[in-house]
Amino acid sequence: MFVHIRDLHFKYPNADDHSLEAFNLTIQKGEITTVLGESGSGKSTLLRLIAGLEMPTKGNIMVGDHCMCSQSKFVQPEKRGVGMVFQDYALFPHMKVEENIKFGLQKWSRREKKTRLNEVIELVNLKGFEKRYPYELSGGQQQRVALARALAPKPKLLLFDEPFSNLDADLQFKIREELRKILKTTGVTSIFVTHDQDDAQALADQIVILRNGKIIETGSPSKIFGTDCDISERLAVKPRVLSKL
Amino acid sequence: MLKWFRDIRSNLNTWTVLSIVFVGLILLPSLSIILQFSAETNENWNHIKEFMLDTYIVNSVILVLFVGLFSAIIGSSLAWLISAYDFPLRRFFQWGLILPLAIPPYIGAYTYHGILNYTGVIQTTLRNQWDVTVNQQYFNIMNMPGAIFIFVIFLFPYVFTITKAFLARQSTSLVENARILGTSSWRIYFKIVLPIARASIVAGVSLVILEVLNDYGVVKYYGIQTFTTAIFQTWFGLGDLGSAIKLSGTLMLLILGLIVLERILRGRKRFSFTTTKVTLLQPVKLKGRSKWLAFSYCMFIFTIAFIIPFIQLIYWAFLTYEQGFSTEFLQVIGNTVFVAFAAAAMITVMAVVISNISRLNRGLIAKVFPKVTILGYSIPGAVIAVGIVSLFIGIDEVIYQWGWASSYILSTSIVMLIFAYIVRYLAVAYNSIDSGFERIGIHFTEASRMLGNNVTKSFFKVDVKLIRGAIFGGFILAFIDILKELPLTLILRPFNFETLATNAFNYATNEMIHEAAIPSILIVCISAISIYFFHYVLERE
Repeated sequence: MFVHIRDLHFKYPNADDHSLEAFNLTIQKGEITTVLGESGSGKSTLLRLIAGLEMPTKGNIMVGDHCMCSQSKFVQPEKRGVGMVFQDYALFPHMKVEENIKFGLQKWSRREKKTRLNEVIELVNLKGFEKRYPYELSGGQQQRVALARALAPKPKLLLFDEPFSNLDADLQFKIREELRKILKTTGVTSIFVTHDQDDAQALADQIVILRNGKIIETGSPSKIFGTDCDISERLAVKPRVLSKL
Repeated sequence: MLKWFRDIRSNLNTWTVLSIVFVGLILLPSLSIILQFSAETNENWNHIKEFMLDTYIVNSVILVLFVGLFSAIIGSSLAWLISAYDFPLRRFFQWGLILPLAIPPYIGAYTYHGILNYTGVIQTTLRNQWDVTVNQQYFNIMNMPGAIFIFVIFLFPYVFTITKAFLARQSTSLVENARILGTSSWRIYFKIVLPIARASIVAGVSLVILEVLNDYGVVKYYGIQTFTTAIFQTWFGLGDLGSAIKLSGTLMLLILGLIVLERILRGRKRFSFTTTKVTLLQPVKLKGRSKWLAFSYCMFIFTIAFIIPFIQLIYWAFLTYEQGFSTEFLQVIGNTVFVAFAAAAMITVMAVVISNISRLNRGLIAKVFPKVTILGYSIPGAVIAVGIVSLFIGIDEVIYQWGWASSYILSTSIVMLIFAYIVRYLAVAYNSIDSGFERIGIHFTEASRMLGNNVTKSFFKVDVKLIRGAIFGGFILAFIDILKELPLTLILRPFNFETLATNAFNYATNEMIHEAAIPSILIVCISAISIYFFHYVLERE
């Protein structure tokens, strides 16, 4: 196994309930895992915990052979070697496409940077757009830049936070296909969080259904979607107050 | 236990340590007052308490009440007129009516006294042209109503700007609905605008009140006994720092009460809509008499609050510019720019550090640090000065006793003055920088960290480039405020160290009003340019 999460707990300060509770997950190398849940289910929190942007109240996270986080250890996000594609892409508006992509390659030599830039630009099919600023690109193109930027430093693990939510339906469909192809070509292990069942079905090798901070179900897409086409009920977040009663 | 160590260790970086040091420093003067507040009383304090404290409280309360009330009326009515109606020069008044803020009330105070007194332009003209001698009583402005007038006309823009910003963005649907329902303009103002803008009006008025309580120049010049003048008197007149500390402590309690009152008045509801879709209120074109009424009202306020004092100062400056521009005066300008620049630069750095760590952190730091940072702005200059002097003398005593220095070195140096500016004006830069950070959000920083940069590198490579404008704005705002500052500078400046503000004020108190014009006009012009820049140029962008 490549990613191993054990007994992960997280609670925001001042919150009554845990956002994530007793969460366990194992991911094999090169596998694409989708975490499916409604808003408020704790899926984005999970991603932020793996990224190191939040500190868990309890639990361990291992990526590769390295312990990222335990009771006594916490590796800062910049030291984790994990990449992330944000929901709003977070492309640096004051930098051109190529500068954005090269941003994570500071320790590389000039030549290496250039080669890598060309590689990922080709991979995401953005040749000719290197000199543009993010605001000069369409939503789909921006998304590809965000992907290229995250892929460039060759992360051990790639995280996606609702990456398609800002795209219209047509484009979503196309990019989903492309993305799966790119990820499989590079062989990078990745975790998606989404509320969209189609995303999950089209992309994932493994699906995790999350509700109220707890895993409801785990399995392959055929296992999850095979039995019941409508899984909305399983996804629905119960109001916390009611669920206590 | 292990987890506790882990949490501390991973949160502890240069930014956290620096901001803890900064916040500690800002708290020191207030702590110094609080600690010494309960010290044993002496004869002076008993005397003050028995015979004078009531007068200070009554005078301060009268000033605060009336200035608050009138600036609320003028500020909110002007804000409503400008936001909801179109009439001649409306676009100009939008920022023109903020210009009175460029004239510090103490400069306005002696300018108006100069205009209205026996040798002033009005009485001289009446005497020489029409041979009319007036009863001095009607032209005496150096009393309580006069001071209220001065504070209101030079401070109402605080209420005006905050209310205007609120009305333009937040009131559209309500006002338009009321208009469609055929409600009259007056009814809309009283029944809708005033209630929904209550929070903004109260916020503006509380800024006005803090300025009034901070003031030393106006009340001293007009001979009104308030807390600030009392602090000066007990300290310099009686040489009694202990009683000055007690007065300061009492004033701090009063302000604390006011802040609590503000929270209550502002109400639980903030009356802001949660939607990000903002429609701007479309002004209705006024016709006929109402058009000219609206114009005259704005023009009248603008004239008395800016044009008249400004022209008078320019005229006086022309009379005295030959004596005015000397090497000593250049030295004064040099001093002013030096202290303002040094303090504003340090303020900006501290504000950036505290603001950045507060937004990256969750928990205690994020909650407490911003509040401490803006604390200084609600404490009057004289009180901060008392706190700082008592603190620095304490430190100096230690240094002296340990034999590290042969005399008091810190409490006689410029370090004390710059430190005081930092405590008082950190909030000004902080607000600007914090809103800059708020605008860009946290994702850029997080994206940078995910790409291998630590907090510091992310700050210099990403954050700072995105909030350059806000940082520069914060620096300029702090710089201008320090340039105008009077009470702190008067108390804490080293011997023979003059700034533009103390220079102008000293001339004025020595009955050399004409000579006060040149430093005054410099302060006014620099402030006016910055107001023009911030409210006209930036808003258009």
